[in-house]
Amino acid sequence: MGRSSRREFIKAASATLAAPYVITSAALGNESRSPASDRIVMAGIGLGNMGKGDQGAFLGRKDVQYVAVCDVRNSVRESAKGKVNERYENTDCKAYNDFRDLLGRSDIDAVHVATPDHWHAIMVIEACRHGKDVYCQKPETLTLREGPLMIEAARRYGRVVSGGSQRVLEDYKGIVNQCWGGELGKIKSINVNVGPLSQICNLPVEDTSSDIDWDLWLGPAAWAPYNAARCSGSFSTAGNSWRSYVDYSGGGMTDWGAHHFGGATFAVDVRELQPEEVTYIDEKEGKHLSLRYPNGLTITHNRPKTGNLAIEGTPGETREPKPVPTYKGEGGIYGDFIECVKTREKPFRDIELGVNTTAISHLCTIAYQLQRSLKWDAAKQEFLGDVEANRLLDRARREPWQL
Amino acid sequence: MLDQAFEALKTYDWGAERSPLEPINEAIISSRNDAVARKDLEARLISALKTPISRDAKDYVCRKLMQIGTAASVSTVAELLADKDLSHMARFALERNPAPEAAQALRDALPRVAAPLKVGIISSLGQRRDVASVASLAIMLNDTDGTIARSAALALGAIRTSEAAKALGNAKATAPETQIAITDASLSCAESLLAVGNKSEALVIYKSLLGEGQSKHVRLAATRGMLACSGK
Repeated sequence: MGRSSRREFIKAASATLAAPYVITSAALGNESRSPASDRIVMAGIGLGNMGKGDQGAFLGRKDVQYVAVCDVRNSVRESAKGKVNERYENTDCKAYNDFRDLLGRSDIDAVHVATPDHWHAIMVIEACRHGKDVYCQKPETLTLREGPLMIEAARRYGRVVSGGSQRVLEDYKGIVNQCWGGELGKIKSINVNVGPLSQICNLPVEDTSSDIDWDLWLGPAAWAPYNAARCSGSFSTAGNSWRSYVDYSGGGMTDWGAHHFGGATFAVDVRELQPEEVTYIDEKEGKHLSLRYPNGLTITHNRPKTGNLAIEGTPGETREPKPVPTYKGEGGIYGDFIECVKTREKPFRDIELGVNTTAISHLCTIAYQLQRSLKWDAAKQEFLGDVEANRLLDRARREPWQL
Repeated sequence: MLDQAFEALKTYDWGAERSPLEPINEAIISSRNDAVARKDLEARLISALKTPISRDAKDYVCRKLMQIGTAASVSTVAELLADKDLSHMARFALERNPAPEAAQALRDALPRVAAPLKVGIISSLGQRRDVASVASLAIMLNDTDGTIARSAALALGAIRTSEAAKALGNAKATAPETQIAITDASLSCAESLLAVGNKSEALVIYKSLLGEGQSKHVRLAATRGMLACSGK
């Protein structure tokens, strides 16, 4: 039963039930919880490192009823389930190995997704097809082709889909306030430094852990033998985590790019745009990139001798201050998502903005991979007259997984 | 160096050093404007694929053919489409190969393979937006294997032509997941038809999805589509 139909049911039941009827304090709401009919029914998919934190944030909210967990690791799944049951002092939480079983439940309003990146697009799109709102960890996409399909699914079904970079608003307040406050004048450029590109994984074969459903962990990625480092959720990108490898992640370029490019584009107010040109520069000081936006602004990547989020404004010039957009509701980016689920507004990191941010990382990756400059047609979502670059827009998914 | 890289490929396997293969990558970059060198590189990759190198080495070769493969490599790669271990990596190379021969090879493989490999090939044809496969995909919409029917629906939703929309409109799904895919694909087609000004066909699709039996979010999508058709 969906949220509104459940509300209707409760309303109808309240109106017709004349006989004595006991409604629990939890259902009516009390000091610590909202009435059941006002709570967002949620579940989590991918409950390892980041997912654990996301779960804790949603589970701690009075206006959320957390009902199910999903993870391909038995230990993670059981631990996540235990937290829910402990929170509510019952044994109601259901645990799933396969996300499709969870998405098939009609009583769940929203899910949070914190799997490795190669699963994001499939899970977000599939959740939208099943009528769920989604909070998806960053980086939202693994390929350029995935982004528009995720936006399309969200818009098609009127879903609230939020990306998951809390740093964009919370870590770069100083620079954002300077830019939006107009004190730097017209902004000409901003530099972003992020980590390395991901690599092909060729780790040795290890005995598959009995704790993990290995085939489901790999999902749409190329088959590979189990290796603990291949699937480790470590935040490192130095070869000892899935974040290091191209089949599951864009490496530091997307993992930190989702934060830093997100902060940069927010500061200089181009979150709704994508670059139109990427210039590859190979100098003695190092290889770096310059990305030009349609409004003339430039974002540079790894510009030598330039700090992260270093801004070039117009000295001596000031501009009219603009109000800085912020989260809705209470509780940071999680509260923003929940508030938007209730009001049907777009969240702070609406999926379109997350996709635009991650697209910068993908454009950088392709330019470094091909070691040359590129022209990007954001409307068509393809490189202009560049067959070789267009091959890298996407990659075949392992059967039976499909967008 | 390139000779040594291809020599290293012969013994490349899980756990081996990857750096000896780097000259192959460098050759891809340096041969961009050198058709002869590029053709020679592709020929060497094709030859490697025909030898009994490891699965990991073939995986590597397919990744490189994804970047530079032409019609010349299609037949060799296509032979792997029916191989349960290598079918996906064959599609890795073929799905992004713009040569028409690559699409034809995928179409030709359809009747030769069963699920789950068939699902992968259907998916690749959808990703290529292969209009020539619509008739075959239309038949598969009624396949008794729900995974094939669902996959065909999603592929038709990626192709998004009027013919794809008609096929989806005639589909009779029994499994809920197949029905969800058919609905989603139909909405994709309607959006594309509307985008090119074909309001009448889009409207037919949206009206068909307004029934009480549809989920709330589907009726919402259909209602919004109908409003868009009327310019609101």
